[in-house]
Amino acid sequence: MEHGLVTLIGMSIAYLASFIGLAFAYLGWRRRQQSGKSEGEDR
Amino acid sequence: MARLTTIDWIWAGAFLLLMVGGAALFYRLGRRSESDFFLAGRGLPWWLPASSVFSTHTATDTPMWVTGTVYAHGLRGLWYTFFSAWTAIGAFVSARIFRRSLAYTQAEWQILRFDGLGAELLRGWMAGWQVFMNMFILGWVGMAMGKVGALAFGWPTWVGLVIPTTITAVYTMAAGYWGVVMGDFLQGIVAVFAIVLVSLVGIFAVGGPEDLTRQLVGMGESWRLDAFAFTGWLSGDFPAAWWLTMLIIAVLGGFGMGTSIDWYSEAQRIQSARSVRDASYGLWAGGILTLIRNGFWAASILAFFVLAPGLTEASEFELGWFRLGFELLPAGLVGVFFGAILAIHLSTISSHLNLGALYFTRDLFQRYLHPDSGEETLVWVGRLATLALLVGSFFYGLMMEEITEWLIFALWLMMAGIWLPNILQVVWWRFNAWGYLASWIANLGVAWLVVWVLPAFGVLPALPDYLQFWLLMALGAAVFIPATLLNPPESMDHLVRYYVMTRPLGWWGPVRAEAESRGLLIPLSKRGAFTGSRRSRPVIRRHWASEEAQDWTREDWIAIVVSPVIYALVMVGVAKLLLGHGAGVAMVLLGAGLAVFLFWVIDPKLRAVSEDYERRQAAYLDQLESGLRWEEMDGEMQRTHLSGGGA
Repeated sequence: MEHGLVTLIGMSIAYLASFIGLAFAYLGWRRRQQSGKSEGEDR
Repeated sequence: MARLTTIDWIWAGAFLLLMVGGAALFYRLGRRSESDFFLAGRGLPWWLPASSVFSTHTATDTPMWVTGTVYAHGLRGLWYTFFSAWTAIGAFVSARIFRRSLAYTQAEWQILRFDGLGAELLRGWMAGWQVFMNMFILGWVGMAMGKVGALAFGWPTWVGLVIPTTITAVYTMAAGYWGVVMGDFLQGIVAVFAIVLVSLVGIFAVGGPEDLTRQLVGMGESWRLDAFAFTGWLSGDFPAAWWLTMLIIAVLGGFGMGTSIDWYSEAQRIQSARSVRDASYGLWAGGILTLIRNGFWAASILAFFVLAPGLTEASEFELGWFRLGFELLPAGLVGVFFGAILAIHLSTISSHLNLGALYFTRDLFQRYLHPDSGEETLVWVGRLATLALLVGSFFYGLMMEEITEWLIFALWLMMAGIWLPNILQVVWWRFNAWGYLASWIANLGVAWLVVWVLPAFGVLPALPDYLQFWLLMALGAAVFIPATLLNPPESMDHLVRYYVMTRPLGWWGPVRAEAESRGLLIPLSKRGAFTGSRRSRPVIRRHWASEEAQDWTREDWIAIVVSPVIYALVMVGVAKLLLGHGAGVAMVLLGAGLAVFLFWVIDPKLRAVSEDYERRQAAYLDQLESGLRWEEMDGEMQRTHLSGGGA
């Protein structure tokens, strides 16, 4: 395989893993925001 | 191909048993809690993290890489390995700040330093990155072992990749970081013995230090003996501009966190130390041991050059140090050498298995999936994550060898664009999560443009790597500085909490003032009135109250300046000493003298910084231990009760 292509594939996998982590973080943050809001409403 | 006799196999087997058995013995400690499984309960004396730093960074591929640079560049090649000198300043700056934060990982530190959604996104980003990176490094190092197995024994590559890594995974899953660090200690001893032995055997195979030097001069290769044989300011294969760039990256990188890819594994060692003082010494000693190792290797590779000059293919000369061991050692010692190769492999593999599992368990599973998990669950998740990393690394090693090879280059280059943000996040209060995240994302596009796209279309010439670094840094700054300034700073409440906890170095004036106005810190101007010490301050102060020692003073700056000088002197000095040069003796002696001075200056302060913390830590460990004993006693009583009832 051509060097540029294999590097592209490798780096894309690295960034894909990071974006998955980032997506987890966003969903976790939104869940905490919502649960915080609902707790506030309950009070 | 190496031929091992029965006694060689017995030696190699005995070493393997010692290293694996020694690590597995700590199973009971590793299962106590998440903190034990990943940080050895934060109770290690400095020499254990130090040996772990050294062992982790002595991997199967490391002698190949150092051999490659020294064979091609002579003693100048040592500077390629000097990137690890970030620990010279890092030991006294970033290690201190990070240890105080109590973050398990660099990803966790992001939410202590930054606030809100930006901080959370950074944590997730970094966790995903590190899970991948550790799997990738495992595949990379595993393949190096596969190549060594093929060279030495003619084994198929998969044998060297799969079998030693699987053996390592067994004790890493059982004992966690306790197993890693205890294994690293034993493996480090074996590795040091083999490195010294093979290097000396190599040097004396060409007649000893004087003969080695004489033969290199006779071959017209005397430039190989000069670590400063520059080819010009900007021209040739060793320009001074490259050397200066490397020094800046390595040495100033110690002010930041993550400026070197090694930071992430060292961060775990820093947190596992029992105090700030132990964290500092552990990192510093591990770093200097690594550079001394490089000095030994460099001298022996010059001997290999004399024995086998004119090799032009990297694949031929990169295995030079292994060839010295397998071809020159007598029967019996070849087995010891093979045991040492297993040692350096096991230590790196175990570290990255546990580190990758830490990021998954702490930063993804516990933070985002199951925040309420108990300690037992977390330990089991850590074990399963270790297993997943093991399997993933086989995939990388066997199926994607070519990609792995090129990814190494790409990832190192990637660090260029985030080198400065990694420092700014530590030293500048105004730097924020959005600026840091922007630097990571921008670096992806910028690196591609500078390295491949623009040169391919003739817009930009293909630049040497040191110019690429500066250009990538400037282009990255053009993105992350506006991103920082266009977004508000982190909330002052958050910054004050972080500041009081970690006492960072740098531009933190507004946060410090706020902390003082809230009564959380004593203003510097009033401190003399409390302690009576300001007027009588000696040039080097050696008696500190705990609170005063938290501030950055002239003693810290002396350490910051002297420490990198010691590193450079010792690294080059050891190589020169082994070549029989008087300058080498002088450099090593000067380095040792400066190290004593450094200890004399900084130790009283580090002791004072650590005192309170050590006391609290000891109490916590006592409590944990008594809790465990109680659980075990309770379990035993229940068993006795049940068996008694049955009878």
